[in-house]
Amino acid sequence: MAVLLRRLAGHVARGLVMIVVVTTISFLIIRSVPGDPLAARYQKLVEQGMAPDAAQRAVEALYGFTPKGSLWEQYVGYMSGLAHLDLGQSLSVPGTGVSTVLLSAAKWTVIPVLAGTLLSFLAGVVLGVYAAIKRTGVLGDVLAISGSLLHGVPQYVLALLLGAIFTTLIPILPAGGTADIMIDPGFSAAYIGSLIEHATLPVLTYALAGYGGWILAMKSSVVTVLGDDFILAAELRGMKRSIIFRYVARNAILPLFTILALSLGLLFGGAIFIERIFNYPGLGLTLIDSINNRDYALMGGAFLLITTAVVVANIAADLLYTVIDPRVRSGGEPA
Amino acid sequence: MSATIVPEAEAGAAAVVRRNFWRGVWRVMRRKPSRMAGAVILAVFAFMGIFGPMLYPDPLPRDTSALYAPPSLRHPFGTDFEGTDVLALVVTGSRYVLLTAVVTAAITVVVGAGIGLFAGFRRGRWDTVLMRFTDMKLTIPGLPLLLVLSTVWKFTSAVEMGLVLGLLGWGGVARAVRSQTLSLRERGFIEAARGLGLSTTHIVCRELLPGMAPYIAMNALIAVTGAVYAQVGLFFLGVLPFEANNWGVMLNLAVFSGGALTTTAALPYLLAPLLAILLLTLGIVLVVDAMDEIFNPRLREE
Repeated sequence: MAVLLRRLAGHVARGLVMIVVVTTISFLIIRSVPGDPLAARYQKLVEQGMAPDAAQRAVEALYGFTPKGSLWEQYVGYMSGLAHLDLGQSLSVPGTGVSTVLLSAAKWTVIPVLAGTLLSFLAGVVLGVYAAIKRTGVLGDVLAISGSLLHGVPQYVLALLLGAIFTTLIPILPAGGTADIMIDPGFSAAYIGSLIEHATLPVLTYALAGYGGWILAMKSSVVTVLGDDFILAAELRGMKRSIIFRYVARNAILPLFTILALSLGLLFGGAIFIERIFNYPGLGLTLIDSINNRDYALMGGAFLLITTAVVVANIAADLLYTVIDPRVRSGGEPA
Repeated sequence: MSATIVPEAEAGAAAVVRRNFWRGVWRVMRRKPSRMAGAVILAVFAFMGIFGPMLYPDPLPRDTSALYAPPSLRHPFGTDFEGTDVLALVVTGSRYVLLTAVVTAAITVVVGAGIGLFAGFRRGRWDTVLMRFTDMKLTIPGLPLLLVLSTVWKFTSAVEMGLVLGLLGWGGVARAVRSQTLSLRERGFIEAARGLGLSTTHIVCRELLPGMAPYIAMNALIAVTGAVYAQVGLFFLGVLPFEANNWGVMLNLAVFSGGALTTTAALPYLLAPLLAILLLTLGIVLVVDAMDEIFNPRLREE
């Protein structure tokens, strides 16, 4: 237990350093944007007849830090704002805080990505076991090759191909958006049906893109376990195949849970291409739109959120690994 | 540095080894025709990148009477929104894509192998610092970072793009090379070299590096695919200004201006660059598979 706690403390400390580094990067980037958006905004407000004081306050509210003072003072201001979870105001959605914009976008990313991840995990694990058992047969080969191909192809190629097939050639699915705009949002069958219809392509793409990795990982994990001595011993003792199979599956799936924890880190930022292609208003699309609209406060916030999720997932995966594999727990420092 | 006067016999032996190596390559290639296909695909792409743009007049001819023309003998993949032949666009755009990929791969390999060797060979404090840094780099998600970076620096030229992708991408190679170095440096032949009082440069360059070269070469090819995906993706998302024609620009214009996901007219315009990406990937995967067997004799099915 003490080892676990010490590990946790180390991870959290390292995670915090990561987050500080990331915020520093986004601060420096926002500051070094050509043409200095802060000064330009301030200038514009003053020209519009605002008093310098009020203008400065307005800019401050917009970006979450004061445009006056040395770089260091601005940095401290920005960081203390973040420490109070104040991400500033969005420019492109006037009068709304960055946190609010991000929160409302997050649900359009988290739910489809989660669905896609779990779908591909289940399919990959089940088919991976099958591919490992039948690895000398034709079907096993086909499964493994399909896995390698899907694993190698970038997400946007899959998304574009699926889009070309299901929205252009055989237009049975909608090309973009979250729901039919003609249907009133609400808890009605028509609206929910439309939601599902619109989510099908993004989820399907995400699941297909992930499936290859899962099937390959599960296959190699099962093959390793099948070669273990305890399986041979079980076979020699004349155990039923179904029971042996349960031994295999249970031991083979363990390492995959760590990968699953890691992949949940992509919950926020994993669908940038898919969201852009299917015009799905999640965090990825928010990030791209904020860049195109020069809304740097929103951009910094989205980047921070996406990165934090990855850092947290990394910590979780490592801890999970310690919990499920006793060898790591007693082993002290990993190599 | 040791002065080297290579005796005749040794030079002859080296030549024999080299000849045997090429014979082995040929044998591995011949066993599976798919590997030959992979090499041919890569050769075609290299030819396309080097000579392709010379085959077409510089501003590509526009046929304003045939916008989004369907595929025909004259235009195998149809035409784009200005009536330019799509095949010509793919061919001329390949130079940018491949040049970037080569620059990226070179930087990835040089920086990654350099840092990995240094950290693994020196160990101690430098190792800890460098690996912490590498871990950090590996944790920050690459695409969002590239997107954010694109607001400050419009890295549109092929060399700049390759530089950015290379500098962001060496983490994995560095980690792998370091762990290989760590295991190799404990082997007898390194100890012997150290016992002989050979310089560190000699040990690293002449004893360690040759053993890892094939592995590094494979990583370079994998870096090429990564670079192609990343740059095409960045241009496709449209966060960088379009200066030169390349596959990502084509995808962007096909989807977001041509409406390829709603009408069939722009579909060939969308599919042509996708097909090019898939073919290039296939070629690289097949060649990496062949290299794996050439350099890893245990995999050879004799």
